[in-house]
Amino acid sequence: MAERHELLPGACKDFEPELVLYHYQDCTGTERQRVESHLESCARCRTFLEELRSFLPATVQTDEPAPAFWQDYSREIRTKLAAGEEKSGWLQALSFLFRPWPVPAMATALILVLALTFSKGWLPTGQNTKESEPAEMVDNVDFLNSMDFLDSMALLEAVEGQETQNGETTSHSL
Amino acid sequence: MVSRRPEEFGDDELVTSAQQGEREAFEVLVERYKQKAYRIAFDFTRDREEAKDLSQDAFLQAYSHLRGFNRRSSFYTWFYRILVNLCLDSRRRKGRVSWESLDERTEKGTGLEKIANPGPSPDQEAMRGELSRRIGDALATLPPKQRTVFLLKNHQGLSISEIAAIMKTAEGTIKAHLHRAVMSLRARLTELA
Repeated sequence: MAERHELLPGACKDFEPELVLYHYQDCTGTERQRVESHLESCARCRTFLEELRSFLPATVQTDEPAPAFWQDYSREIRTKLAAGEEKSGWLQALSFLFRPWPVPAMATALILVLALTFSKGWLPTGQNTKESEPAEMVDNVDFLNSMDFLDSMALLEAVEGQETQNGETTSHSL
Repeated sequence: MVSRRPEEFGDDELVTSAQQGEREAFEVLVERYKQKAYRIAFDFTRDREEAKDLSQDAFLQAYSHLRGFNRRSSFYTWFYRILVNLCLDSRRRKGRVSWESLDERTEKGTGLEKIANPGPSPDQEAMRGELSRRIGDALATLPPKQRTVFLLKNHQGLSISEIAAIMKTAEGTIKAHLHRAVMSLRARLTELA
């Protein structure tokens, strides 16, 4: 094909690219003037330009769908946009967890919790006992109260027993 | 003050509204560019359904990435870039497109157009079909970059600077691709004649 390309009667090598742009009316004022003055004196380039003008527009094949197609198009894209927005809302909520800042923040918090747990929470040291004393005291309040209650009961029983004994002694003595 | 209808807003204003979450503003942009988008996708695919899907996908991608649009280019250029990339990706995925004639494809559509417009005679239609097939074959032989530049220039009428912006390529390179594409097509069509 390259050989055939070479054999085709073309434009002057220096002007060929500019003639293509000239056909598309996409060259600067200076370039246009240069091409136009060359075309006046070069039949080969004039033929080449005519050829471009005849075959290039023929390569455009447009498709003109019916109005119903465009109505469907608009309806479909609106539905897709709405669905995409809903989906992206969920993804955005999930992506919150994977954003750059929560990850280090959560990792730092986790490290702190672990550090506190291991340094103070689970070590069987004397400090631990001292710190847990108030909690133990609170737990024992009920027990101590009940013990007080029992003590007072025993005291009452003792007093009652003594009184009974005294009564019997009195009756005996009577 | 009389409030303007959304259709009267410029692209920049619509993009700003859409970036703030107003989907209706983006829908106005879709209405504004849907036909151009469809036509360029059709130039690449020569298939009505595929062109519709690709152009719609381009709008969806543009909408989902709209917050990242930095306005260094116009919305139109930015959107075209997304669309052209999608068309090229689609072509890469499918391998070389089989370029059926435009008439064959159009006949697969509703058929209502033919009833409304009887069109040319059978002879003229046969000749047009043959020319269409030849052009399709000739375009299919072009390397992807040359073909993209050619379609954007010849079919879409974009300027060299617009194509350079869309393809993120120097204008000189675009001009070279266009020249080579035109010369290859000319040679190919002469060969097939």
